[in-house]
Amino acid sequence: MTTHIKIGEAEAGTRSQTKSFITRNVQKTILSNGLTVLTKEMHDKPVVATMVWYRVGSRNEELGQTGKSHFLEHMLFKGTDRYKKGEIDLITHLHGGSNNAFTWLDFTAYYFTFAADRWEASLEIEASRMRNTTFVEEEFASEKQVVEEELRIGLDGPWEALENEVWATAFRQHPYHWPTVGWLEDLEAASGADMKAYYDKWYHPRHATLVVAGAFDSGEVLQKIEELFGPVPPGPATTPLRILEPPQRGEKRLVVKKETPVERLLIGYHAPEVAHPDSYALKVAESVLSTGKSSRLYQRLVERDQSVTKADASYHDHIDPSLFYFQAELKPGFKLADVERATFEEIDRLKRGDISTAEMDKAKRQIEASLVLSSEEPLQQAMLLGQYETIAFGEHLPEDSRGYHYLDTLLERVAAVKVDEIATAAEKYFTENNRTVGYLISDGEPDAKERDRAA
Amino acid sequence: MQHSQKRITPRLDVERVQLPNGLVLLLSENHSIPSVSINAIVRAGSRFEADDKAGLASLVGALLDAGTVSRTSQEIAETIEAAGGQLGTFGDYQSCGAVVRLLSQDVGLGLDVASDLLMNATFPDDKVRQDIDRRVAQLRARLDVPRTQASDVFNEIVFKGSPQHRPPMGYEETVKVLTRADVEGFYRRYYTPENTLLAIAGDFDRNEVKGVIEATLGKWSRSSELPTPQVPLPGRQTSPIEKFVAATKEQVNIIIGHLGIERKNPDYYDLLVMDTILGSSPGFTSRIPRILRDEQGLAYSTFSNVTSSAGLDPGRFIAYIGTAPENLDRAISGLRGEISRIVEGGVTSEELEAAARYLTGSFVFHFQRNSQIADFLLEAEIYGLGFDYPEKYPELIRAVSVESVNRATRKYIDPQNLTTVVVGPVHEAA
Repeated sequence: MTTHIKIGEAEAGTRSQTKSFITRNVQKTILSNGLTVLTKEMHDKPVVATMVWYRVGSRNEELGQTGKSHFLEHMLFKGTDRYKKGEIDLITHLHGGSNNAFTWLDFTAYYFTFAADRWEASLEIEASRMRNTTFVEEEFASEKQVVEEELRIGLDGPWEALENEVWATAFRQHPYHWPTVGWLEDLEAASGADMKAYYDKWYHPRHATLVVAGAFDSGEVLQKIEELFGPVPPGPATTPLRILEPPQRGEKRLVVKKETPVERLLIGYHAPEVAHPDSYALKVAESVLSTGKSSRLYQRLVERDQSVTKADASYHDHIDPSLFYFQAELKPGFKLADVERATFEEIDRLKRGDISTAEMDKAKRQIEASLVLSSEEPLQQAMLLGQYETIAFGEHLPEDSRGYHYLDTLLERVAAVKVDEIATAAEKYFTENNRTVGYLISDGEPDAKERDRAA
Repeated sequence: MQHSQKRITPRLDVERVQLPNGLVLLLSENHSIPSVSINAIVRAGSRFEADDKAGLASLVGALLDAGTVSRTSQEIAETIEAAGGQLGTFGDYQSCGAVVRLLSQDVGLGLDVASDLLMNATFPDDKVRQDIDRRVAQLRARLDVPRTQASDVFNEIVFKGSPQHRPPMGYEETVKVLTRADVEGFYRRYYTPENTLLAIAGDFDRNEVKGVIEATLGKWSRSSELPTPQVPLPGRQTSPIEKFVAATKEQVNIIIGHLGIERKNPDYYDLLVMDTILGSSPGFTSRIPRILRDEQGLAYSTFSNVTSSAGLDPGRFIAYIGTAPENLDRAISGLRGEISRIVEGGVTSEELEAAARYLTGSFVFHFQRNSQIADFLLEAEIYGLGFDYPEKYPELIRAVSVESVNRATRKYIDPQNLTTVVVGPVHEAA
């Protein structure tokens, strides 16, 4: 048996309530083949969540072959040399568990949840499908139809249509250019051999993090993990991805037309990657702008101007710089240009540092509390731990924010954000040259109701 | 590994208190996570509305936090949000009210705001107008979601003659003409202590919380007479119905089904097992997803269900699929074929065993979050399940047999008299 190299110890957890709550008792182990294992033993609920995170998503794809990461996720339910087709779901079913998977820009993740007296099948399945998934050609063909249907659901969604266009316009070089599900035309051209080659490139211990959270005995479980995953070879090294989006040199604007009774606005600004020093001020700004009914955008657009049914600001953590974006859904009779202008005015208030102490305190408290309120289930905690272990990596990050420890420093750094740092970050990122503005409008075929109303 | 000591069946320590004014308090403490969920519901909803006031209960629910005697809407939001809490108010088909989620140290604040909304909401005129305007826009946006549109059309047919035929949000024509007086009237009539249930789950001290509630909601005075309107019930259809609605979309959204059952129906558990076998288990183990998705590749999303909509009134039996327009005929005949097959051929003992194992093994997942526990307490109270329901549940499932499933399926599922609704790039037809 290979020796465990323990590089993290159970947390002492004194800095804040939330810190100790999310990362308390997390033990990090790296197997000799490079597999990162995070275990969090907690006995308050009789369940166990198991997740495997692969650091591969649409970010790792190439033009002409987009959507492969997501398609591959579907193929991992189709069977291995040990589990025939349907058996993974059947085992889950018979054990009263649930399983699913998701793919995004930076990662692909799989999970199982089971009652604590019958959960270990999840480890066996994950160990098997990491390297031994079978790619049967006829399975590939029928699953391709399923993935195409999933993509069509997105094409029918007005927000998805607008988001896809804004990201594709804002990013011209970086792979965040295309949506995770891929372009329909690429998907139609995909082959089983492409999928197998992609699997062979990425699905190895060195690119994976296994997270187990719930009611189990850590010592026994780590031994079982070593037995199951230890013999898997580390896999070939890959060259780190270095695709930089050059600075945007001027505002970009676009219009998407769709049959819709509701016009929509989306404004995206290039914004920094996870754990970047400016990212914390932007997180506080996001909360000031859009968390709850007392937030800036709600008070301005929904309450005062009464021009929208909803308005949001969003900024998510990604491996590479992404977008900080604003969304609004307009009420009939209001103009996109006016809502756009009002949004800019709210951004200008941030640039002037026009934020009260009470507002700052509220925003910080909301960030901290939402971390607790969204982590009541072991699975939700496993999600956070796995996500940051996967995306917060690299020499450019402060050492204390790497991996799941990001969750500790997050709250400290958010707590330290000052009003002038928000103003500086707003000045730096929310500029005209750095933005892409998208409008979704009706394709000019008003429905019968609209015509009646106009008459 | 040895896990014989583990207790998997969730056991909740529940205290039920009825205040002298009739309000029912349901408390369940657990201290694993430093948070609390406060779920307050009033037992009234759109099922008590007249057709020409469609959307009223939903509007009242949404406006609960629009102002109280002592707080403006902004102050309500500020109070909860400054503590990092989350407040939602709602009005649905059979209940309305407020849900507050907070860190445990702020439970008092949450109770203070929740009771203020239940007792002292003022519905300022400008807020009423503003919300009506917003709802009109939201009602139009429903047309952007083809699955919602298909579901609305289906309900209009299957629930004809009962209030459930309407979307709880109402219609543009009815919502536009609602007034502040309508809102105030509904609130005065139904938001009363004897019509209210308050469930609290999570990290709090029971005695402390009871004290706070007695001092606030305890002073809420009973109404002189609480109306209990008769809700007209829909009848089962006696012939097949088809409705095609044209929409410029990539997919066709298909719903096939008919009227369903009430939650108190004694055959509920047989149908829960039937659901698990036909179209509602995880992954692709149940028949419809396995055959239509996993084998035929027709859809990303396809399922069927009858028990999840069972409430005070009968819900609906539906089979759903979203697929490319060229698959329309195969998809419809696929769903109808599976419905007929389970009615005519019944289920196997292997299927029954697998479903029972799934239902009993997964039950623990209904009790993971404090808001889920609070919701369970409310359901247990409304449907008389008993707070020891988690312990009884395995027996209820184990009592189901192949014969009882087949009998219940034949009794409640009728392949000869189905409503079929299609929304997408098709020719309109009724």
